[in-house]
Amino acid sequence: MEGSTMKRSRWGRARFGGSSAVLISISLVIGAAISATAGGLFVVLGDVERPILAFALMVAFTLPTAAALGWALLVDRATLAGAADKPEDSIESAWYDKAASGAFGDVLLVGGLGAGGFALTWIEGPLTWGLSGLVLFAMLDFAVRYQWLKRAAA
Amino acid sequence: MQNSLAQRRQGLGWSQQRLADELGVSRQTIISIEKGRYDPSLPVAFRLAAVFECAIEELFTPEPS
Repeated sequence: MEGSTMKRSRWGRARFGGSSAVLISISLVIGAAISATAGGLFVVLGDVERPILAFALMVAFTLPTAAALGWALLVDRATLAGAADKPEDSIESAWYDKAASGAFGDVLLVGGLGAGGFALTWIEGPLTWGLSGLVLFAMLDFAVRYQWLKRAAA
Repeated sequence: MQNSLAQRRQGLGWSQQRLADELGVSRQTIISIEKGRYDPSLPVAFRLAAVFECAIEELFTPEPS
């Protein structure tokens, strides 16, 4: 097991080598590029009155998530402290699968009922709000189910 | 599924974390298996049997019906 003999750290190292500092720096660069792209698209495609402020706010709010995405794509998980060598055999993987399948069923149910409700009542609203709400519900549902399984096993 | 994991692990003087590291799984996985709340996959069962140098059926026994 290569990972067990390799020095591990909190932030790990990149798949292509280098220190944690290198990995974090590259992740920030990737995050900045993604955020700047998102900010640019928001300003160009949207009808904003103060484009520079809108761009800056968009970059500020998306940078942490975008940088985390860059880190997740680049990190060699075998160099992370406390990471199991075979996560697919760990109970956390079983919790994930159960929570995901349960949340999928809930999303189908809520999405179907919601669509039916809107159709019958003729309530109209922005599609963005409806889809965003459904995604938020799915994420919360998954998180609650996962935590419930975790507590049940404790 | 009942199992003798805890007794065998303690017989070796190993901690749950040590056994988890040997198997490449999380410590919570070992805790849950020992409590009988999680049935491991077949590959993990084989690795457990190899670690404790016994047959799988010596480690795990079905719940009495």
